[in-house]
Amino acid sequence: MIVHAEEVMGTVVSFHVEPGECPAVEAHTALEAACTRLHELDDIFSTWKPGSALNRFRAGILRLPQAPPEMALVLELCDEARALSQGWFDPWAMPGGFDPTGLVKGWATEQALGILELACVESAMVNGGGDIALFGLPKNAAAWRIGIRHPWRPDALACVLKADRAVATSGCYERGPHLINPKNGRMLFRTASATVVGSSLPLCDALATALVAAEDAGPELVRSLDGYEAYVIGVDGEEDATEGIVFATEGVR
Amino acid sequence: MHTGGAPSILTGTGPSTPVTSSPSTTSPAKPPTGAASSAVGTAEQYGYGVLAVKVTVQGGRITDVSTSKLQTAEQYSQSLAQQVIPMLRNEILSAQSAHINAISGATYTSEAYAYSVQSALDALGVK
Repeated sequence: MIVHAEEVMGTVVSFHVEPGECPAVEAHTALEAACTRLHELDDIFSTWKPGSALNRFRAGILRLPQAPPEMALVLELCDEARALSQGWFDPWAMPGGFDPTGLVKGWATEQALGILELACVESAMVNGGGDIALFGLPKNAAAWRIGIRHPWRPDALACVLKADRAVATSGCYERGPHLINPKNGRMLFRTASATVVGSSLPLCDALATALVAAEDAGPELVRSLDGYEAYVIGVDGEEDATEGIVFATEGVR
Repeated sequence: MHTGGAPSILTGTGPSTPVTSSPSTTSPAKPPTGAASSAVGTAEQYGYGVLAVKVTVQGGRITDVSTSKLQTAEQYSQSLAQQVIPMLRNEILSAQSAHINAISGATYTSEAYAYSVQSALDALGVK
């Protein structure tokens, strides 16, 4: 297995790649290409780099037709995610102006996985700072086992879930209160951690953000979306999960 | 591990100084059979304040998990402080023994990665 950790997008992206029949040289080349792509997307969408296309776009200096084509694509994805989340994910309602960060990291991570998938590796896992894209199956196992971080204990798990494509989690425990309720501007939530499992990582990412803001309405929101499941932990420690969440119980504890 | 990302918009609601981490005690040493012993885990910044979890072990098994320290900013009412005490008593799972492929959580910073379970899984490079 090839393991790599790339520092990018203000976090670290971890790669676990099982080349299988794919020659090691090609697998390594694909891994390098995936990392290059992550840095390209970071250059476009960083909210920290003053000269990023996103920051120039937000400032009105850069118009959409002149922006990298990825900008229009992300705007479209954000619009779609806003509708699917019933307005609970709203990059246009952020205090500093349009901020697609809650979707872009998942989208970038999924693209990195796509590059490995195209190289025909046997299986791969890309973890973009907590947002996970999966392809194939782990060696000698029937499913990917994803630990969900305990919101108050970085070294512990709240549970282990099975997944086959994408898992994203949001919460305010790691970076302080940075999330916002797009409907009333509040920044305190009764939801400590929200995890969404599904097929599209950018949508899982956006929905996880939406679910923190949607609080009690979160799981019901996800039940309306085919192929998406949710697991949430309240600030009181109460857990809730939609019916399709598969908990891994064997080998746990 | 607190990484200095103090809340900026809700001015003054976070702890004024970074949390000093004490050695983690997630796997308390087994006490003599029958005797109960407690260990306090690493103090954690969790968005609304600081807390540490107290784990009580009896006969080599975890018998209780409680919050041993809770500091919240003054702006928050006591009722909120009580509301945010974690209650996942039956769900304290050891990441080391769960045979996981990856860990999902709120986005960690590059600095926090070094202390994350994912970095441990990367270092192992297996499973």
